[in-house]
Amino acid sequence: MSKSVKKQVDDARDNKHQDLDLSDKSISKLHDIPELFSLSNLVRLTLSHNKIDVVPPHLVELTSLEVLNLFNNHIEELPTNISSMQNLKILNVGMNRLYSLPRGFGSFPKLEILDLTYNNLNENSLPGNFFLLDTLRALYLSDNDFELLPEEIGQLTKLEVLGVRDNDLIALPKAIGQLVKLKELHIQGNRITVLPPELGKLDLYTGRNIMKAEHNPWVPPIADQFQVGASHVFDYIRSETYKYLYGRHVQAGAAPPPKTNAKAKKISRREIYGKK
Amino acid sequence: MTKTTDMSLLNSVCVRCHTGFRQDERIVNSHGEVWHEQCFVCAQCFRPFPEGVFFEFEGRKYCEHDFHVLFAPCCGKCNEFVIGRVIKALNNSWHPQCFLCELCNCELADTGFVKNRGRALCHPCHLKEKAASSGKHICYRCHGVVEEDMLIKYKQEPYHAYHFNCTHCSEELNGTARELRGELYCLPCHDKMGIPICKACHRPIEERIVTALGKHWHVEHFVCARCEKPFLGHKHYEKNGKAYCETHYNQLFGNMCFFCNKAITSEMMCTMSKTWCDEHFFCMCCDSLLTTKSKFIEFDLKPVCKRCYDRFPNELKRRQKKTEMASKKYGKNEK
Repeated sequence: MSKSVKKQVDDARDNKHQDLDLSDKSISKLHDIPELFSLSNLVRLTLSHNKIDVVPPHLVELTSLEVLNLFNNHIEELPTNISSMQNLKILNVGMNRLYSLPRGFGSFPKLEILDLTYNNLNENSLPGNFFLLDTLRALYLSDNDFELLPEEIGQLTKLEVLGVRDNDLIALPKAIGQLVKLKELHIQGNRITVLPPELGKLDLYTGRNIMKAEHNPWVPPIADQFQVGASHVFDYIRSETYKYLYGRHVQAGAAPPPKTNAKAKKISRREIYGKK
Repeated sequence: MTKTTDMSLLNSVCVRCHTGFRQDERIVNSHGEVWHEQCFVCAQCFRPFPEGVFFEFEGRKYCEHDFHVLFAPCCGKCNEFVIGRVIKALNNSWHPQCFLCELCNCELADTGFVKNRGRALCHPCHLKEKAASSGKHICYRCHGVVEEDMLIKYKQEPYHAYHFNCTHCSEELNGTARELRGELYCLPCHDKMGIPICKACHRPIEERIVTALGKHWHVEHFVCARCEKPFLGHKHYEKNGKAYCETHYNQLFGNMCFFCNKAITSEMMCTMSKTWCDEHFFCMCCDSLLTTKSKFIEFDLKPVCKRCYDRFPNELKRRQKKTEMASKKYGKNEK
């Protein structure tokens, strides 16, 4: 542990700081900073841009913690007890090497923003209770490997932001229509050809509301509507014509477009590939 | 009473003892009747009348003292004999100055009284009592019952409106009259005097006036359009011609901070389809505070400071660039 980190931790403990910024300190083992886990006053902890590969279970001893930023580390796994952090509201584990989430991950009582961007997650790596996170306002799953989003996503009724850019999605779940508070939907760079008519229940084009949907192999009628604007897409998928066409399309069961290898060079994969 | 030697009286006899008079005897003559001096005495105490004053009852004469003892009434209030005018009322006798209204102590001898639950009351007090028990107002001037449509209150007392005239136009008043600074006005004159009208209750405002939303309000009627609690001097927020308290304004129209999920009360950062408190606009990677002067890049509609963005893997930046180009192509016809 570098002296500057120790000094910062001591300073935070002595002055009961609520914030501690340990970003870009070349930290590789949190075990090397045992004093860190005694900072029970800490509300916000920033550990981004380090080389942390293991998150020790002691982290939950930071009982006041509301914001935890682990962006850009080497984390492959989170401790099972992490979801017992009673006050955690914002968790950023973006740009790591997660290939699964721990059992019981969905039991955070207050989690509002969960950023899992740029990992190696897919629908099979979510624990069974994941969609019990009904306090979530924002869920970022962009740059992962989801092919499908479970219909249980409809349980996240407070969700305002859903990011699934650059996954391998072949479709959106019908239950997305239940996310009545959704204001921001990122679905660029997937393999989506058609939109469920249920999406038409949402408004993702007026005011600040937005749907980002580029780089998908849309069927021609939808692609045409995107050419003229998002509001036209919504008008179209609400039409009886579209509902009929959508039904036919689903019935036909055409094979989804193949995966691209656009994400093959993701840094989140290197270590895994190296291990194999 | 006379003392005489008149010869014509020599043949007369004393009314009391029926004997004649000696020539040198003093004779008492009273109202045509003659008496021996020793016979002209009180029928009770047989003593002469002091200063010749007697009281007669059923043909007999009494001195003042014995007459009172035998026949004069006692006052029901002061227990003294009542001489002269006696007020007989409520099965008792009274001096006129002792027979008073039980409530206001005015003399009742000449004005008459009303028996009210065993009490003697003057007419006004009786009416007041009656009205009080029946919930009606009694005119402070004429003591008549005031019906609701004629009722006005002037200096706190109820009156028939028709006892007054408008201070301004002199018309006789009705129940719609208003008191203003100690004077009475008919409603049209009152309204013409520039008294602001409360937008909520449409009644004039004579105390503290709140002017807001281009209208006047009673302090207690200027309320939040949502919770209807008066602002009472607290800050209000206007939207579409309505006023709201801070809580409800923010709930209905406020911008919520994406970071703290509370209504933004400080300066607001408005970008990337979201809003932030200016003290909560952090780089999503390193949590450093960003300002309008900071260099930051939008990544999935989240702010990333330039330093953090420079550390992004090249392959990600390349993909981002491609998407950006495509969105420009898509977006060319929008908005």
